Amino acid sequence: MRRLVIRIRGLTKHYVMGDTVVRALDGVDVDVEEGEFLAITGPSGSGKSTMMHLIGCLDRPTSGTYELDGVDVSRMDDGQLAATRNSKIGFVFQTFNLIQRTSAVDNVAVPLFYARRTRVREPAMKALARVGLAARCDHTPSELSGGERQRVAIARAIVNEPRILLADEPTGNLDSKTGRQIMDIFHDLHRSGVTIILVTHEMSVALQARRIVRMRDGRILDDRPVDDALRDELMTTSLVPDSPPEPSPGPTSEGVARIPVARPVRV
Amino acid sequence: MFFLRIVLMALRSLRIHPLRTVLATLGVIIGVAAVVSAMSILEGTRSEVEGRFATLGSNKLFVFPGIQRDRGRAVGNVNTLKLDDADEIARACPSVASASPQVTSASLVKFLSKNTQASVLGTSETYADINHYQVAEGRFITRDDIVGEDSVVVLGWRVKRDLFGGRPALGEVIKISGLLGSRGFRVIGVMEKKGNIGWTDVDRQVVVPVTTAMKKLYGLDAVSMILCESKSAENADIEAAKSEIKKLLRQRHRVRPGQQDDFQVQAQGEFLKQFSQMQNIFAVVLYSIAGISLVVGGIGIMNIMLVAVTERTREIGVRMAMGARRADVLRQFLIEAGIVSFLGGGLGVLLGWGMAQMLEQTTRILNTSTTTQAISWALSMATITGLVSGIYPAYKASKLDPVEALRYE
Repeated sequence: MRRLVIRIRGLTKHYVMGDTVVRALDGVDVDVEEGEFLAITGPSGSGKSTMMHLIGCLDRPTSGTYELDGVDVSRMDDGQLAATRNSKIGFVFQTFNLIQRTSAVDNVAVPLFYARRTRVREPAMKALARVGLAARCDHTPSELSGGERQRVAIARAIVNEPRILLADEPTGNLDSKTGRQIMDIFHDLHRSGVTIILVTHEMSVALQARRIVRMRDGRILDDRPVDDALRDELMTTSLVPDSPPEPSPGPTSEGVARIPVARPVRV
Repeated sequence: MFFLRIVLMALRSLRIHPLRTVLATLGVIIGVAAVVSAMSILEGTRSEVEGRFATLGSNKLFVFPGIQRDRGRAVGNVNTLKLDDADEIARACPSVASASPQVTSASLVKFLSKNTQASVLGTSETYADINHYQVAEGRFITRDDIVGEDSVVVLGWRVKRDLFGGRPALGEVIKISGLLGSRGFRVIGVMEKKGNIGWTDVDRQVVVPVTTAMKKLYGLDAVSMILCESKSAENADIEAAKSEIKKLLRQRHRVRPGQQDDFQVQAQGEFLKQFSQMQNIFAVVLYSIAGISLVVGGIGIMNIMLVAVTERTREIGVRMAMGARRADVLRQFLIEAGIVSFLGGGLGVLLGWGMAQMLEQTTRILNTSTTTQAISWALSMATITGLVSGIYPAYKASKLDPVEALRYE
């Protein structure tokens, strides 16, 4: 068995809203090994976003333990969490979240900057080269296409060589062709040994991972490796049978978001 | 290095809204401009006044007639200073080296068809020595001229040039019009080129015997000032001279004990002190105004920084996700606020300097001097204002919850 990067036991996250307690996460156990390519999926309100925030050290659980790279991060203070995010986690967001009017290479250098590195350009250029964007390093986000922006964001996520790459709907704002290109980059990174956790509600995207954790109502519905049986099952049953469609910002319309079952050919 | 990067980062985010940034810093710009122009004017006036006093020499004492008061209200100068007083001061006060009585008036002086406006000074033979003011040609007035009430005149350098040009003036007769009518004066000397002594441009002055001026030109029985010189510039000598003069004049004017002096004696240092007291009052008023506009400017900066924090909530979330600590976010916005107001301060310095220059050009009386001290003071005030106003917005930014910030639309 390979080394565990993530070990989560009995993780809960409760929000108090007025008089009611919302159990966004309600006792979750997950292990992630080094080099895995994992997708966390589920309908809106299933707790996958909360899960991502906790895995990404952006938030602290109400109870339970979360060991990242052998260190319990569930009781860390803000400063320790920030340092952990900086060194161990790379984020890729649906809306890219690049800093405007700042060149691609400077955007990629942001994590290096917060790591107090003195030499930043060289590693930033190297990361850009890994996503095939070295030639456009001096362009600002507004001069780049959506796919290029997401590639810059990926370069930024990997520049500090994090333990996990955490991607939240990374293709949600892209057309299907560009989305495929982005997924290809994830595959490349995975092959080179990067641990990837993909949070998505798009089954066609989730199915490209090696393992799928399906969530529902703050709990894990099932946790299975991606094989033909799972593929067949997920393609014949809708992922979100009863719940309302996930509101999705950006160009992705609700229709597109709901048709993973209608696009099985691509997978 | 880290700091430099934050500065570059701040400059980059300022470039996004240049107009908005300038408008937000308007208060700081105006505040700093006010400080700089006020300091320029104060400094310019101070060095001008000190320069003028320096031309007088520091061992001078001025005796003026007392101000006549009616139930506390000043109603006019008393004609208390007599010509003899000057002679007696010089003779009887051991700490006084010399004394020169003065009457002055502005008059038209004429030679043939040429005329010019000049100030006419009636004084004694000691005047030239007290002021270290030398004759270029001919001679200065003498005791005999004064005793004889002679109609002789010594011309200032410029008056001579205006009336005679390159031709010799000695021995010629010019006309000076006084209150008692126009009168001919024989030119006995021409003074060197000197410029200002105190506030008088002596090159535009003509000097006549004090007796002649009083009796034949203006019909006066008192002098307007007695200029005295103490033995030395030592404080003790000046003070001694002052009390000797006071004692003598009270005696001569028969001022009873307990009664007020009917004259005033002032040493040059006292003038300077009074002047700087007056300047301090001006400074307090000007700096208060400047301080108020800096406070207003600070509110402007705080406002714009609060807007910037709200606008960039998502960016803050992203930076936090990338590993920015709360202190990093705080520092970023604090430095940004500091830079905004530093740049505003820079514009303010330019504006204030321009205003001072314009005042100097248009009034032609006001001297201004913009010192580097004033500039650095104004710039640091502006930067401090920015930093202080940036504290709350920066604190607010640093306290954002990363999850909420990332979700912000």
